[in-house]
Amino acid sequence: MYILKNSLVSIIRNKGRNILIGIIILVIACSTTVTLAIRNTASNLVENYRESHDIIASISFDRKQLTNNFKGGEDNLKDNIEAFNNIESLNLDTVKNYGESDYLKGYYYMYSTSLNSDTLSKASDTYEYEVEDKQTTTSTSSTTTGGNSGMPNGRPGGGGEERRTTINNNTTTIITRTKEKFESDKNLTGDFELDGYSSYDAMTDFVNGTYQVTEGEMISDFEALECVVSSELAILNEIEVGGTITLKNSNTEVTYEFLVKGIYKDNSDSNDVVKMFSSSANKIITGSGVIEKIVAEDSTAITNITPSFIVKDEESIEKFTEELKEKGLNEYFTVNTNLDELQNATKSIENVKTFASTFLIITLIISSIVLFVINMINIRERKYEIGVFRTIGVSKFKLTMQFVLELLIVAIIMLMIGAVCGSFISKPVGNSLLQNEIESNAEEEEQISNNFGKGQMPMQYNQTAKIEPINNIDALVDITVIAQLVGIGILLTFISSLASMISIQRFSPLTILKERS
Amino acid sequence: MGILKLENVSYRYKDAPKDSYVFKDINYEFEQGKIYAIKGKSGSGKTTLLSLITGLEKCTEGNVLYDGKKLRKINLDNYRNTDIGIVFQSYNLLPRLTAIENIILSMDVSKVKVKNKKQKALELMKSVGLSEEQAKRKILKLSGGEQQRIAIARSLSYNPKIIIADEPTGNLDKETENDILKIFKSLAKDENKCIIIVTHSQNVCNEVDEVYELASKKVN
Repeated sequence: MYILKNSLVSIIRNKGRNILIGIIILVIACSTTVTLAIRNTASNLVENYRESHDIIASISFDRKQLTNNFKGGEDNLKDNIEAFNNIESLNLDTVKNYGESDYLKGYYYMYSTSLNSDTLSKASDTYEYEVEDKQTTTSTSSTTTGGNSGMPNGRPGGGGEERRTTINNNTTTIITRTKEKFESDKNLTGDFELDGYSSYDAMTDFVNGTYQVTEGEMISDFEALECVVSSELAILNEIEVGGTITLKNSNTEVTYEFLVKGIYKDNSDSNDVVKMFSSSANKIITGSGVIEKIVAEDSTAITNITPSFIVKDEESIEKFTEELKEKGLNEYFTVNTNLDELQNATKSIENVKTFASTFLIITLIISSIVLFVINMINIRERKYEIGVFRTIGVSKFKLTMQFVLELLIVAIIMLMIGAVCGSFISKPVGNSLLQNEIESNAEEEEQISNNFGKGQMPMQYNQTAKIEPINNIDALVDITVIAQLVGIGILLTFISSLASMISIQRFSPLTILKERS
Repeated sequence: MGILKLENVSYRYKDAPKDSYVFKDINYEFEQGKIYAIKGKSGSGKTTLLSLITGLEKCTEGNVLYDGKKLRKINLDNYRNTDIGIVFQSYNLLPRLTAIENIILSMDVSKVKVKNKKQKALELMKSVGLSEEQAKRKILKLSGGEQQRIAIARSLSYNPKIIIADEPTGNLDKETENDILKIFKSLAKDENKCIIIVTHSQNVCNEVDEVYELASKKVN
């Protein structure tokens, strides 16, 4: 107890010395508070950002690989198309198999197919109709020749018509023949694209606001025949929420009656004046279970599946990719993640955090040295005092404690004042640093854009911009910062008290007193 | 049996030649209730002997025994803050404290059980001829004689069995010297203390019970 009393008396009776130490500690405390607040807030922001933005791995078609395998020349086009058609697409079972991985937090997917309808009009700016016109006269006759006769492995598609007339002696016959166009069999064929989502997470267009339910609500049962239709389709066919629409599988003639739960609008900006309707006009949103039912009833149904795998962490990306290859992922598919986008979004704040951490370390090193030197000078001035204390029987330990306590009391008071000052300035300083960093990054990106010879960013960068970057740090002095500050204060006190600790251990009281005498 | 015993005590400085002792093979015993004077010429090792007795210095050879226990084996901090009181020639008071605070500090360090330390300190100061007004003064605002009295009062504050004083009257006038000798005599006779005084003064030597002449024991 008397150690504390002595410490307090010593602090009060040696105002000049303690004010000097106090000012130094105040400056250290203030700058440490600011850097800690910025660093911690930046860490939390990045962490929260990472938590709220999962690392999503997707499987995409590697067109480059396909191109590399192309055979040159027009004659080989058929072979090339056949090669393309032979690439095994992803199917639901494969995706579910891929999803069973220890490196994933989960997965979801969009399962699509298409259906037709006898009752709904497709939103289309092309009006197609057939005219069958056969004319026969006795004076002449005609026979159409030429045109496409269809290609193996292809399927008939809509296209132009060609008429050819052969004139015979007395009869003229005009025969209209539809041309057959060969195209990939991987395209969905129905009028209405049915997008079945496995969960709300899978509805990324709704999550990021590209689509928005404006009437009614999103489907709630991913297995039931519920749907959300586009506003364009709703207007065109006078569909209302709560009503039903009937779609038909042209292959099996099976009809499906969907309950319309909601109507969505497409918020994506489209400057494409060539098309009357948006690309999502014929898109009907439903659950993946519905698509599974349709596929179960029609094994020939053409489907498309877009899986998204939520990877546990950065380290798991490579392992997951390896696992997919082991599970038989085709060489024509690659695994892509949004990691770069996530890292870009937090790049500025990460830089600020790094700067704050570096500044903190430098501050602590310099302040430790300064305090150590001041304490060393202080101890030399107080040698006599140490000698007296030792001769009256104060142990080295207690004496050391008294000196440490003196510095600790001054440090704690100044740390508190420093924390208050730091809390006021950490927010503007943090935001100023971040803005500088953002501007610096923006200039860098603009330079890259200019390097591409464009006024706007190349495609890759536009995609990156889909993830909103952090542009406000609002550094906060919270309990963590205070705790860290106290920890640093205690550490600094002990480091700077090393001078007194060593001196007290080394000094012989008799020698000190003799010197004084 | 004496409270303090010197047993073949020899001392030489660490950097001195092996056979160059300040003093060698001192054997002496100090008893409670008596006043001792250690006398000797300058450089005879009086203050060094005092340092060995107080545990501030270690014997090169031999032992100092307090109450039958070797100083080497006991806690010297406790020994200095409880069992012996030291009055230095240069007082060794803390200048940042007041006179009374110096005395109370010694009581705090010794953990002596005193109900009212301030009251006890004032009584001690009164016993060495200092007033309450002087008690509140900072050390540097007191004269040499007053500081010496405070040093004595401090050494008495935790009621030690032995009081060791290094030239306690060296800086004082005759009258004050006599006052202080009276205090020491009273402590020895009335309170059964063992008083050891290192001195040059013949007047002091005349007043004590035993005189130990250090010069005659010195071995070079």
